[in-house]
Amino acid sequence: MNKALWAGLMLAILGSLAACQTGKDSAGPSPAPLALEGSAAPVPWKRYVVEPLGVRWPQTDWKSFNNLVQTASPPVGALPKIDGPIAGNAENGKKLVLDRSRGGGCITCHILGNTGSQPGNPGPDLSMIGAQRTPEWLFAQIWEPRLTNPQSFMPPWGTHGVFSVEEVRDMVAFLMTLKTPAEFKSDKENPNKRPAPVETRPNLDPTENPAAFIADKGAAAFRAAGPKGQACIDCHRDPAQAFAVWGAQMPSYEPRLDKVLGVEEFVTRHARATTGGEFPMQSETNLALAIYLRALANGQPIRVDTRSPGATAALARGQALMDKKVGQLNFSCRDCHDPERGGNHWFRGQYVSGLPNLLGHFPTWRTARGEVWDIRKRFQWCNVSVRANELPPDAREYGDIELALTTMNAGRKLSVPGIRH
Amino acid sequence: MADSIKVRAQMQGSGAEVRVLINHPMETGVRKDEKGAVVPAHFIQTLRITHNGNPVLESLWGVGISQNPYLRLKLASAKPGDKIGVAWEDNLGKKDATEVVVQ
Repeated sequence: MNKALWAGLMLAILGSLAACQTGKDSAGPSPAPLALEGSAAPVPWKRYVVEPLGVRWPQTDWKSFNNLVQTASPPVGALPKIDGPIAGNAENGKKLVLDRSRGGGCITCHILGNTGSQPGNPGPDLSMIGAQRTPEWLFAQIWEPRLTNPQSFMPPWGTHGVFSVEEVRDMVAFLMTLKTPAEFKSDKENPNKRPAPVETRPNLDPTENPAAFIADKGAAAFRAAGPKGQACIDCHRDPAQAFAVWGAQMPSYEPRLDKVLGVEEFVTRHARATTGGEFPMQSETNLALAIYLRALANGQPIRVDTRSPGATAALARGQALMDKKVGQLNFSCRDCHDPERGGNHWFRGQYVSGLPNLLGHFPTWRTARGEVWDIRKRFQWCNVSVRANELPPDAREYGDIELALTTMNAGRKLSVPGIRH
Repeated sequence: MADSIKVRAQMQGSGAEVRVLINHPMETGVRKDEKGAVVPAHFIQTLRITHNGNPVLESLWGVGISQNPYLRLKLASAKPGDKIGVAWEDNLGKKDATEVVVQ
């Protein structure tokens, strides 16, 4: 080989090294390059419409209710003035308490004697309620449960405009007929005895988890040159070693942005600043890279650093947000997931997991949806499910909640990609 | 390995258990997209499994098979070191194939 060629080769190698930070300078590790401008998600954020397996996202704009950013829900309301005794059409009331299109119906959370099938159990058993309460008490409880008990997590069906006065009267008329304890044909019909579902699928077996194909795409994307000519692997030459614990230590507080970055947003901003790759959050390549990188830390205990003042503040914000009531159904994260409330209970046939144990498998393959979800999409679906407007995936509030949720999972082993219904 | 096929063939007792996961949309041709337009049918039509080159399973598939098809079979005559081949072809003429060794 001639000298000119050698020189050219050496220059090329030096050039490629120069583009990578060595990770240390006199002041300690230098921060990873991040694009600090702009959004990591599409702007404006537009809600999903229909998923691969046909699941449709509701398109209602719930702007008159709280979400994680705004406070807009009506205050605890007074009862409407009703003349005469509370009476109604029990037959119509029976339809309403079972109506899944109106917020799930009472049966989502309450056993109603022998009415309907597969009742849920976050709320008390109402099988004998007709012998225990007056119509006036029941009307008040449905319309505005917080008047009786300020801590109640039952939705304020009247104040939040889900049911009209006439409809609540009909439901009360039906509930007053309930005077017989429930009898279940089998334990599977009884939410108090139905066994909790246990996820036993071997999620890390590539012949069992379709997300394995997406992880492969992540490994390929990591090695593909970006618009600036370099690939991730050109700087992170030994990814298995370099990312052996990283995925288990995210999300992390980023002082330059004063927000918490999860793996997904970090990938977007870091690639934008280095290879020039544009991988918006929840895009196919972003999810693929997130799975690939996070899975390199599989088996490691989850451990996030919340010692810095910024991280401490973010954690406190996240914990407070987990108590914020959002949406027309007026649920906070804890209302559905705290085992003292809805967590580890059946909402009709749907088992809602308790805190913690909601995180170490994300991004996860969802068999019911036919796609991979990152934790932020899971948050978005939670929001929409309680009829609150979701935020863009890179929202600061979601970062705060992700940090709070991750601290609750400290010590649990990362296992990515997961499989969930 | 082929991009769309994951195969594991492991001895279990006297035979081998073969597990196959294929990445394929298996579009039925009746689903509609966000704008209401029908998503064209796109599904695997033939699946072949071979044992040391000899066909042991040849199946005709249609739109009744789910997205990302999974199948599992037991090959009583398989021995460690044998080769298991998996190949599919869909209605658009796309195809993929792979081969693994029984562990």
